[in-house]
Amino acid sequence: MGQIHVVTDSGSDLPVKLREELGIQVVPLTVRFGDEVFKDGVDLTAAEFYARLKQETRMPSTSQPSPAEFVEVYERIAKPGDTIISIHLSSKMSGTYQSAMLATTMIDPKITVHVVDSRAASLGIGVPTIAAAKAAQAGKSAEEILTEVEGILDSLRVYFVVDTLEYLQRNGRIGLASALVGTLLNIKPVLTLVDGQVAPFEKIRGRAKAFKRLRELGAEFRERNPGKQLKAAISHADNQTEADALAEALPEILDLQDEVVVGEIGATIGVHAGPGTVAVFLYCV
Amino acid sequence: MDVINGFAFKNMLLAAARHLDQQKDKINALNVFPVPDGDTGTNMSLTLSAATKELEQFGNGEIRRLASLLTRGSLMGARGNSGVILSQFFRGFSDGLAHVQEEITGEDLAHALATASQTTYRAVMKPVEGTMLTVARVAAEHAAQAAAQGAGALEVLQAALDGARQALADTPNILPVLKQAGVVDAGGQGLVCLFEGFLMGLTAAPEELEELLAEMAAPPAVEAVPQVEQEVSVNKYCTEFIILGSGIDPHQVRGELESKGDSLLVVSDGDVVKVHIHTDHPGQVLEFCGALGELTEIAIDNMRLQNQEFASHEESHHLDYSVGNNVIDFPVNSGQSEPKPIGIVAVVSGDGLAEIFKSLGVDCIVTGGQTMNPSTEELVRAIDSVNAEQVIILPNNKNVIFSAQQAKELAEKPVGVVPTRSVPQGIAALMYFVAEDSLEDNLAAMEEGMREVKTGEITYAVRSTVAGDLHIEERDIIGLAEGKIAVVGATPASVAQDLLRKMVDEDSSVISIYYGADLDEAAAQELTELISAEFPECEVEVYAGGQPLYYYIVSVE
Repeated sequence: MGQIHVVTDSGSDLPVKLREELGIQVVPLTVRFGDEVFKDGVDLTAAEFYARLKQETRMPSTSQPSPAEFVEVYERIAKPGDTIISIHLSSKMSGTYQSAMLATTMIDPKITVHVVDSRAASLGIGVPTIAAAKAAQAGKSAEEILTEVEGILDSLRVYFVVDTLEYLQRNGRIGLASALVGTLLNIKPVLTLVDGQVAPFEKIRGRAKAFKRLRELGAEFRERNPGKQLKAAISHADNQTEADALAEALPEILDLQDEVVVGEIGATIGVHAGPGTVAVFLYCV
Repeated sequence: MDVINGFAFKNMLLAAARHLDQQKDKINALNVFPVPDGDTGTNMSLTLSAATKELEQFGNGEIRRLASLLTRGSLMGARGNSGVILSQFFRGFSDGLAHVQEEITGEDLAHALATASQTTYRAVMKPVEGTMLTVARVAAEHAAQAAAQGAGALEVLQAALDGARQALADTPNILPVLKQAGVVDAGGQGLVCLFEGFLMGLTAAPEELEELLAEMAAPPAVEAVPQVEQEVSVNKYCTEFIILGSGIDPHQVRGELESKGDSLLVVSDGDVVKVHIHTDHPGQVLEFCGALGELTEIAIDNMRLQNQEFASHEESHHLDYSVGNNVIDFPVNSGQSEPKPIGIVAVVSGDGLAEIFKSLGVDCIVTGGQTMNPSTEELVRAIDSVNAEQVIILPNNKNVIFSAQQAKELAEKPVGVVPTRSVPQGIAALMYFVAEDSLEDNLAAMEEGMREVKTGEITYAVRSTVAGDLHIEERDIIGLAEGKIAVVGATPASVAQDLLRKMVDEDSSVISIYYGADLDEAAAQELTELISAEFPECEVEVYAGGQPLYYYIVSVE
């Protein structure tokens, strides 16, 4: 029986340390400022991205990896008989999943690739990817791993607060939250993901209240899932302080056994969510 | 005079309307809070005028018919809490006369005053003594005593007036706020004026009466035109008429006309159906309705031409407020697109605030005039105009909540009222509106949401008074926290700062400032900087509200 490899994309916001420890392959998306092109996480770190965003007048954009880039990665890591589990950005938000699917038809048919549409973004992809890599290390079968990944994705709830809706709107990723655009008041909406796209969850006035609401949502998630073991992750776009404060509060609220994974939102997601964003990922195992 | 016939009954009501109109400023001055928008007299006068207008147009000498017109006219014309209570008073009064054939005896009158009083008590959720409720009740008691002793109608009315005056004089002894402010209850004073007017109508010599009623021909000037502000109707002709005939089903009329235009209003009162529609095909509408009964009072106006004209004269016109006037524009709707499940109507004054409410998803803004108190009918029409299956109303003023609830009863669509007492409460409630949820869930969430915010309002005193330990001179700047005077000072900015010091606590995170029409952005910015410096832990936001009379409306949440 061949080896099992785990692949994701730069939209997963996996912390570098975890990715190296677990041997996860990350396929980068491309970030453009005008005609300057970067590979997210390869020649553009999160810190560099946010620093540049402050100075730039040009609005950055992202583009999915080409099928050829996936083919290159898949054939480099796997040999015939191996299996790849490739978990990616929501197909409603990015063409990355589509590229990976196309790549599977272009590689050695003796390599099996399972491409998973996470219907999520950021650590919503990162969290099941970590679980898959750990399960692979523990010697579980591809079917067992896929079941575990789907279980996490089914229970996953994502709530996030952006500093402004401008980034989501300008890049066409605002989804169902478009109803919130054009409100004259300074509203800090709590957003969520529904069917793989951004949707409004609640309109809130003021950042402090929005963060208070994120903590309440944690408590509600605990109540809805009595007796289950819960896990949580937080990602942030250049907003370590608020992310840390939340990471400190969540273990007690959720009755967590593990510590909260905190990740930095890289350029891929940062382009669309904008600086200041904090996202909470809650799920059952 | 032992009995009142139909002719005298009509005169009595018309004279009362005139008298109330003459006395309205005196009544306005009695409001406990010396804020410039508490106009009990104006509200009561407009309510009665709306009713008597119906009498003049459609009333003959038949008492029952006059009574039913009085009820309908006042219910639809009711403005403000006192107007709503007055309309309920008339409703009970008319019910009490239901058995009367041609003449009202002393006993009939006493009975009608008793049912009127009972109806007012039932209309309010928590009756408070020392208000117009008490005045109506004591008047009815005195009337009943006189009738029991065999008094004629005139004597019964005189007894009612005597009772009303006694009860009014006693109101400060029952309600300490009245005593402190040195006033009697304004609504009660309105009722006394009503009884005075009744008596004048019955006892005046014919030539005096003629003179008195001649003045009525000119409708009372309404200083600011309350209007429903919306996009211009796509349909060109405002068409209004009345169908006479028994057994006409208003639902059938509505069903048939819905596809012919928008802003449809069908009001039925037994043998009279009043129709209002904006349509491009007035001929078809008349053709259909003409087959149901006799058409009368037909009025067709071209609104596009009128809108152009109105736009160019908007500032100087004093416009009539009631049905029969076409300045009220409604949103483009019915028959145009699928109705949404829930629409929202909000009562807001000020163009900036109107924009803010619209940007938060409100479908129809009803702009109150100076008094901020739209009539029940205006609210019903706004509800009708929204292309939605159900409607939520945000009254945004404690004096509009009651009219909104009355509009809910009169509207054909299911309506929910979120009892918002201020603009900030309205905005807070809107944060909790979820278009996909049910009406009930939204109402519950919005009512809870509105309590998350504290409201402060900064205006000027219209008269000198004492509130708690604050001594207030006329023209002083006053700050109200949750509707109660909390601060007095010399400038809007200093009062706003003092007021916020009372409102902000350790749980506060957002302060919003909406500045009024009389202030410019620079002044508001200056205040915002002072506030930000004083409360660094709060986010401070400033918006142009454009509201009249209130320099600032502030909220803390």
